[in-house]
Amino acid sequence: MTDTLLFYLLVASFLWAAGLHGLIVARHVLRRVIAVNIMTAGVFLALVTLAARAPEPDPVLHALVLTGLVISVSATALALHLGTAAFSTEKPEPTTR
Amino acid sequence: MNFALVSLSIPLFTGLLLLMIPRYGGPWVVLSSTLSLAAAVASLVEVVDSGNQAVLLGGWPELLAIRLHLEPINALLLAFTALIQLLVSLYWSRNCRNDGFWALASLLHATLAALWLSGDLFNWYVTLELLSLVSVSMVALAGKDSIKPALNYLFLSLLASLCYLLGVAIIYGRYGVLDFQILSRMTVGDTSTAMAMLLMTLGLMVKGALWPLHLWLPPAHSRAPTAVSALLSALVVKGPLFILTLLWTRMAPMELTDKGGEFLAVMGVFALLVGGWCSFRTPLLKEMVAYSTVAQLGYVMLALGLMLQWQLRETLVALWLFVLAHGLAKTSMFLAAGEMQRIFGNKRVTALRGASQTAPVAMFAFAVAGGSLIGLPPSGGFLAKWLLLEPLFYDLQRWPLAFAVLLSTLVSAAYVFRIVTLAFDRAERGQAPSRDRVSEWLALLPALLVWGMALVSEPLILWLTRVAQ
Amino acid sequence: MSLSWTGILPLAVVLSSLVPGLLIFTLREDQQQLRTFLNLLGAVIKLVLVALMLYGVSQGAVFRFEFPFLPEAGILLHGDALSLQFVSLSSVLWLATTVYAIGYLEGAALKSRFFGYFSLCVSATVGLALAGNLVTFLLFYELLTLATFPLVVHTGTPEALRAGRVYLAYTLGGGALALMGIALLHSIGGTESFTTGGYLAPLMAEHSASLMLAFGLLVAGFGVKAALIPLHGWLPMAMVAPAPVSALLHAVAVVKAGVFGLVRLVYNVYGVDVMDALHLNDPLLWVASATIIYGSLRALTQTNLKKRLAYSTVSQVSYIAFGVGLLGPLAAAGALAHLVHQGLMKVTLFYCAGAFAQTLGVHRVQEMNGLGKRMPATMAAFTVCALGMIGIPPMAGFISKWYLGLGALQVNKEWGLAVLVISALLNAAYFLPLIYRGWFSAPGKEGWPAEKTFQTRLTRLPESHWMLVVPCLFTAMLSLLAGLFAASDLSPLAWGLLIVDREFQP
Repeated sequence: MTDTLLFYLLVASFLWAAGLHGLIVARHVLRRVIAVNIMTAGVFLALVTLAARAPEPDPVLHALVLTGLVISVSATALALHLGTAAFSTEKPEPTTR
Repeated sequence: MNFALVSLSIPLFTGLLLLMIPRYGGPWVVLSSTLSLAAAVASLVEVVDSGNQAVLLGGWPELLAIRLHLEPINALLLAFTALIQLLVSLYWSRNCRNDGFWALASLLHATLAALWLSGDLFNWYVTLELLSLVSVSMVALAGKDSIKPALNYLFLSLLASLCYLLGVAIIYGRYGVLDFQILSRMTVGDTSTAMAMLLMTLGLMVKGALWPLHLWLPPAHSRAPTAVSALLSALVVKGPLFILTLLWTRMAPMELTDKGGEFLAVMGVFALLVGGWCSFRTPLLKEMVAYSTVAQLGYVMLALGLMLQWQLRETLVALWLFVLAHGLAKTSMFLAAGEMQRIFGNKRVTALRGASQTAPVAMFAFAVAGGSLIGLPPSGGFLAKWLLLEPLFYDLQRWPLAFAVLLSTLVSAAYVFRIVTLAFDRAERGQAPSRDRVSEWLALLPALLVWGMALVSEPLILWLTRVAQ
Repeated sequence: MSLSWTGILPLAVVLSSLVPGLLIFTLREDQQQLRTFLNLLGAVIKLVLVALMLYGVSQGAVFRFEFPFLPEAGILLHGDALSLQFVSLSSVLWLATTVYAIGYLEGAALKSRFFGYFSLCVSATVGLALAGNLVTFLLFYELLTLATFPLVVHTGTPEALRAGRVYLAYTLGGGALALMGIALLHSIGGTESFTTGGYLAPLMAEHSASLMLAFGLLVAGFGVKAALIPLHGWLPMAMVAPAPVSALLHAVAVVKAGVFGLVRLVYNVYGVDVMDALHLNDPLLWVASATIIYGSLRALTQTNLKKRLAYSTVSQVSYIAFGVGLLGPLAAAGALAHLVHQGLMKVTLFYCAGAFAQTLGVHRVQEMNGLGKRMPATMAAFTVCALGMIGIPPMAGFISKWYLGLGALQVNKEWGLAVLVISALLNAAYFLPLIYRGWFSAPGKEGWPAEKTFQTRLTRLPESHWMLVVPCLFTAMLSLLAGLFAASDLSPLAWGLLIVDREFQP
């Protein structure tokens, strides 16, 4: 494992840990959404780094990260929607259709 | 295998259809879950007859393709999911006031089916995420009060997924494989594997609301609409539990199982006692049922832990029986609790004063389901408890655990009969509340099924012993 | 599962009350006649089936119904001499109690629920009596708890609910202990059918500690229902239930189920030899003796009639445990005879107490003055059975106590005789004043606390509703006959001797 890879893995774990910290400490919905996204970025970075270990990049891991991104976007959208609903005073409309 | 895929696609397409045309959701979902149940039963028969099967999606080669695989246990869970879905939608099609429910319920069904059939770590991550997204949306269907618990549920479950995903990344970095059947032949007990197992276990424990990581469950399950609570408690928490079981029983290296098993068993005992105590103390009816889920999952953890720590194969059978019995009993209990909450228009336990006179069938359903949770013979809960207890006596070292099970039986009896005793109060009430007899009987149906397990108990146990390896 | 009539009959005996019970649940409150019809139909069919089974056993037929349940521990209903003794007692008394309950609850609310659970309760009792192995026994033991709980809390008053909670805490705790004991025995030696002389002897060498622990668990589990001290607390509290329920708890179902479990445990699971070798009988004997004396002492101080009867049950039922613990053949015969005798006498006493309460509002001992003039037939039945309880010859109670005493001497436990004599004196001390008040004291000037007249289409007895009086007279007569004709072949004593013959001479 080269030093560059190790560096990226360290960054990834830092992001993951920072996100985790943020998610536990933060109370505001928006902060928590951001914290989750930082955490996600950490994991994706780790996956992409692992994909670059061999001279030929590993396509499986890239596919995984792509799938993960889609999921992460939907989860963020749902969290934002629920967050908005929590702030609005009137009864929210049914959430998902 | 084809039947299993049919059983998965029917609810998937129903769900997508209902997203576009959200009308007549109830009948459609009842129909689709009946068909899905039939297909799942056919796949069960098929897998029993001709052995395990697998399919590689999209014609990709192994290691690259998504592999779905079918074993007897998966097929059983597939049928079980469709059955619970059918029972809940039968009840809810009489009471539903929100069309959004039906599409989500179908998607939930499809997601669970995909989870049972998946066999690689990343695919499980995807299904787990889908499961959480759908469940959170369903909790939020209850309106204003449920938004906060839903958000909390969402964040915790995202956190859990990311723990799990990091574990998956470590496993892939170490072995370069995601398919768990291949992994199960490769794993060794080194630090990175241990780290990955720890991360995945913690993630799954949060998702499965296993004590002490259960804190999101009681508010979310108790604030959700009744049918959602039933589905969440009966099915959704079983998904992470299924993965946890497979990871530890098949993939975990021998060096880790001993410690992991001990940890899980101890947590299980705590879950039983602490969860039961919370259930006994809470003033809200549905929260009482939700805490009882936390407690009952302790049995599953205990069974898994014993299996790992002492290599007791019997307890794996107990584990699957707990999953089935708890699913049915909890469905009935939530439906009955919701029905009574609707009849009396009050969320508190004390509202049930006199319920045995004013809502006899719903109360009976509650009590009968409770009997299985306590583990009174000859209910399904008793069968599972018996199988769990029996191997505990072989060795003097395990007797304390046997007495922990005894104690937890008493705790669960306490929380069930707290309610039942109240129901026999003859204090005068106002006017007689309006009842819907059919709804009450539909709430009773799953409870009768769980007691009916006694009729097929011996073949069921022998069969599970054979297939649970 | 065999389809012959000998295989079906035990199941049919259980179903004969279960099916009417389930049907009764579905009836509306005003379907009085149909409910009464179903109740009596079930009771009569059960009696006929039991009679058929008695005849069959006397002709050497074997009644076995098997159904797979747990691996290596199926459900087994088995009609042997011992189970038939209990089954006969409970089916005869069920018929009497059903008639009595119909009269007692006339005009009360929620009768469908009451009679539904009432029938379930008897089904569980009969199933328990016919159980052929420990797992089946446990199954019906727990079902009995569940079926009696709604009867205990039936009146729905705060006291009834409190009694119900206490009842459940004790009995479910006991059930859990019994489950542990049974699972423990199952894990070391499997679950076999009850056999004469027990089946655990081969395990004694290797597992004596486990066997002792299991015995302790099971005695504690069954002792709760049998009301052995210190596990008797629920029984006096359960007195808030209606009189037919008390009669059922004390004479037919719950208390008897506990004691019957002890009998099965000692004779058909452990066996006399194992009991002797592990010295398991001595603790049982001490607890039983202590309970006999303690129950009588507490009964002395009770001013409430039903409470006094309840403590009397605590004491009298322990005679059976005492006889079992002595491990001698004569004591065993006495214990088995007492199972029936105590049931007949105690059920009558509770019927009478209920009739007094329901007709005249008499609940307390002081209010009994002059009852003999107002309700002579009921008071006579009460007197016969109270004298029987004390053990005055030639009443039924005397016969069983005589055999218990002989049994104590036979195994050289003379102190047992002292326990019996002290208890008899205490019995006299708490029963004779009641009889004296009833016949020889003048009624109070202010009249009866709450006199009630019954309107029925049938003939009205001068003293009360006929359905309250006739069961008293019927069971009192049976207990009298059981004592007078103890030497005949049909008496409970003769049947007890027959069972003992098989147990002690294999």
